Amino acid sequence: MSLSDVGRPPVTDDAPPDNVKTPEKAHSKWPRRIPWIILGILVVMGLAWFATWKYRPPELHGVVLQSPQQASDFTLTASTGERMSLSDLRGKYVVLYFGYTYCPDVCPTTLADLHKMAEALGDKKMEDVQVVMVSVDPDRDTPERMAQYLAFFDPRFLGMTGTVEEVDAAGTQFGVYFERHEGTDATGYLVDHTSTVTLIDRDGYVRMMFPYGTAGEDMASDIDYMMRRLH
Amino acid sequence: MNTTIESNVAAGNSVDSGGSRPFWRRYRFKWLHLLYISLMLILALLMAFAIFQPIQVLPRVSLSPGFAFTDQDGNRLTNEDLRGKFVFYNFTYTGCQEPSCPDSGPAMRAIQQKVADIDTGDIPVEFVTISFDPEHDTPERLKAYAEGLGADTSTWHFVTGDPTRLKNVIGGGFSTYYNQKDDGTFTFDPTFVIVDGWGIIRTKYKTAHPDLDIVERDIGLLMQELNNSEGASRIAYEAAHLFLCYPD
Repeated sequence: MSLSDVGRPPVTDDAPPDNVKTPEKAHSKWPRRIPWIILGILVVMGLAWFATWKYRPPELHGVVLQSPQQASDFTLTASTGERMSLSDLRGKYVVLYFGYTYCPDVCPTTLADLHKMAEALGDKKMEDVQVVMVSVDPDRDTPERMAQYLAFFDPRFLGMTGTVEEVDAAGTQFGVYFERHEGTDATGYLVDHTSTVTLIDRDGYVRMMFPYGTAGEDMASDIDYMMRRLH
Repeated sequence: MNTTIESNVAAGNSVDSGGSRPFWRRYRFKWLHLLYISLMLILALLMAFAIFQPIQVLPRVSLSPGFAFTDQDGNRLTNEDLRGKFVFYNFTYTGCQEPSCPDSGPAMRAIQQKVADIDTGDIPVEFVTISFDPEHDTPERLKAYAEGLGADTSTWHFVTGDPTRLKNVIGGGFSTYYNQKDDGTFTFDPTFVIVDGWGIIRTKYKTAHPDLDIVERDIGLLMQELNNSEGASRIAYEAAHLFLCYPD
């Protein structure tokens, strides 16, 4: 030490030289990261929103059921003339409708909708689908009459008829009631009946119920969704 | 001047010496971390939905049977008349006397009173007692039975009909066993069924004396589902049906 060092503060060993950056003096990286984090959160939210939109349950028009039991079987006479049970149609999706050929308006509109449904599904998918109409007027609806009537709407449709007791037993299980009442001379007696359409899957479980008035294209898209989900 | 690690160490400064600098200072952002976090978030959401089961629904069990019967006033009652309403069904006959026969009439009366206390909004709730003894249960007899119970017949119908149709409806449609014995009395499983406005069976109580708290809960669940059946919450309720979120 020289005389000129007197008065200068002592240099201690643990004071760092000025050209070294200490951690305490280093600039924090966090302020730079915050925009990235916000961007990351927005990306995650965007992906979640997109996934929710893409994989959302579809807007179904019918009512979906989760039945633990298969639909009750019934045996009737088909429009082809042979005796047929609902269980004979296992392996295909059955679209079941209860109506009658002398029906003035409700049945023709529903059958027209079912034809539109068949057209919307297309020939390929319709190979796995069987539309069945059960007559609630078995006294007038013979198998031959049903075959003629249904051919007018779609050659793929199948009719079924039988005795009043057989049809009543079949209809009751599907929420269908029917009752005769007086009509006009032109129409003969009329039959009040429930006009819902029921979808039964390949294994015989009731899957969906469409209320009266559901459009053909809507039924087709719902059935298409069910077919894809159930295979 | 270099700011090398050696010179830092020589100067006694703490460098990355494995733990003396906190993690959040050492962290370096990577896009992979974002992926991990988002996957964890999705997993956490799924687990939360499964564990906490925020939405519960009653299952749509089956279609309720179609029927056309005659009520205590001699009028026709069909299942179509009840569409759009929540309906409680029970099955008995007027000759049923406790204790040898589990009459569900008084319990139905209790349910009717309970439902009157619950605010069901503008959703109608009705009650149907189907008698499987049409031979004895004429409309007059049904009316007397209703009065004996103290039933509010504006919303409670007592019906019966043709025996074959009754078997199809009660035994087939509602899966409720009943059988007539030689002495004219009946053995049967006392059952209550709730049917929603779509004509779909939602739940059954296989007892003559259902727990009123459970009844209140079930009606509440049905009301909730109906009131929330529009828009975004509809997706959540249909998902609950898909994931089978049923109450115990």
